[in-house]
Amino acid sequence: MSKSVSAVPKRRIRPGRLVLEICMVLLSLLFLYPLILTVINSFKSFAEVMSDVIALPQSFSSANYAYVWKAVDYPRLFLNNTIVTGIGLAGIILFSSIAAYKMSRSRSRMSGVLYMLCIIPMLIPFQSIMLTVLQMAKALHLSESTWGLGILYWGFGAPLAIFIYHGFVKGIPREIDESATIDGASGFRLFFSVIFPLLKSVTTTIIIIDVMWIWNDFLLPLLMVNGSPATKTLTLAAYTFVGQYTSDWQYAMTAMVMAVMPSILVFILLQKYIVRGVVAGAVKG
Amino acid sequence: MFKLGRRRGERLEFGLFTLPALICIAFAFYVPFMLTVRYSMTKWNGIAKHPTFIGLDNFRQILTGDANFTNAALFTLKYTILYIVLVNVLAIALALVLDMGLRSTNWLRAAFFVPYILSLVIVGFIWKFIFMQGFESLGDSTGWSVFALSWLGEPGLAFVSILGVSIWQSVGFYMVIYIAGLQSVPDDLKEAATVDGAGAVRKFFSITLPLLAPSITISVFMALTNAIKVFDVILSLTSGGPGGTTYSVAYDIYRDTFQNNLYGYGTAKALILFVAVLAITFVQLYIFKRREVEA
Repeated sequence: MSKSVSAVPKRRIRPGRLVLEICMVLLSLLFLYPLILTVINSFKSFAEVMSDVIALPQSFSSANYAYVWKAVDYPRLFLNNTIVTGIGLAGIILFSSIAAYKMSRSRSRMSGVLYMLCIIPMLIPFQSIMLTVLQMAKALHLSESTWGLGILYWGFGAPLAIFIYHGFVKGIPREIDESATIDGASGFRLFFSVIFPLLKSVTTTIIIIDVMWIWNDFLLPLLMVNGSPATKTLTLAAYTFVGQYTSDWQYAMTAMVMAVMPSILVFILLQKYIVRGVVAGAVKG
Repeated sequence: MFKLGRRRGERLEFGLFTLPALICIAFAFYVPFMLTVRYSMTKWNGIAKHPTFIGLDNFRQILTGDANFTNAALFTLKYTILYIVLVNVLAIALALVLDMGLRSTNWLRAAFFVPYILSLVIVGFIWKFIFMQGFESLGDSTGWSVFALSWLGEPGLAFVSILGVSIWQSVGFYMVIYIAGLQSVPDDLKEAATVDGAGAVRKFFSITLPLLAPSITISVFMALTNAIKVFDVILSLTSGGPGGTTYSVAYDIYRDTFQNNLYGYGTAKALILFVAVLAITFVQLYIFKRREVEA
């Protein structure tokens, strides 16, 4: 996408275009101003926030960061988020890819019915089933645990992943399976050594969509792992933290910056892939 | 004999490949869904050992005499319609500008997209800070009266705030979908139109917009599914206030289920939301599929 944009031939700069260019850049800065203000205020003292929000801090002290880092046990939260996202993602990719592959290859009617059963849940809003999901998770001992929360995402992420994989596998010629079978590969070996590498581009798309979703998800963690500080996720901890420090805006803003910083850094590094993945996911999904 | 054995082997393999996903999906959706249907016909506070079966009483009460639900439904309806229209119009406008090959295109795309990667709860808090503290300072230094309004304290304005913040967070997402759509509009079509003497506006409405139809379908569909379930941003921005005027349907379900402990009643509402989502989805897919074929 970015390629075709930058490939537009450089024209002589017309005044109208220049004005538009400047206006757009100013608009984008205005658009990002709330985020800029958040960062600025995360460095201020309470008195500074109260007297003037838009002024720059007198000094860029890291005192707020040190305080919040300890108060919320930031490394723990970061680890929790990583565990939940990692477990969730691994299960979604593994189970969805093998299931979608078999369903796409099999011509039987049962396979078609099962495929429909897999993708229909995309129509069920999470809020419609949240209470019973919580009860079931409790019965299965999956609640109040980061591992359990990660496992829950397997089922919630599978419908979309199966849908995307299913469509993609259809485009891979069956002859590839057949020639691999002749070479003696079958079952899981055939899938992991021959088919799965061919799914790389869709796997990337699914990873991007699901990481953004699981990393930022709020309602499911709120229901599942809100009982103890040891199991909280970043977003959830930020939510609880702001609830406790309602008037201490400087700490709240610091917590916000710390909660969103990982996402922003990853976005800066992988911007191209993320935008491409999100578009691909939407167009296929 | 041999053939039967092979078929059995194939079946076994099919099961091994598909069962893990099927089990996960069954436990994530089908089991909870069936339990939801069961609970929706009971009266239960979660403490009593067993729910009491009361048939369709919950539904009758929700649909005839529940002011909270009616207000939440109206709020969600108003929000959904305005959100779909505004976010798509703004996203198309941004996409058109970003498709013109400006030098700052890459920066602009990143800048408008960034809020989309942030958690909605956190976006809500950031804006709460801006509305409550930031606007005061901005009002002091500019003297503009817009900053002096009570953006979260007055029902009408609180609605606008929620709508605006939601759009701010997601417009970049729809924008990139439209940029991708615009890039698939062939240049020679636009050039041919220019040769035929079509102006910019004419060109947009008779060439670009019809060819964007697939992108519009996707975007409207996604905007609808997201808007009808709006929850996180309201929770952190207004918590349903002022005076309970900004409860969405999803938030109302959350309130009844987890704050008022009306398990049976809350799940009945949840089921109504599901049916509404289902109906709207089918109607929308039907309409858009027809229109796309015509285009």
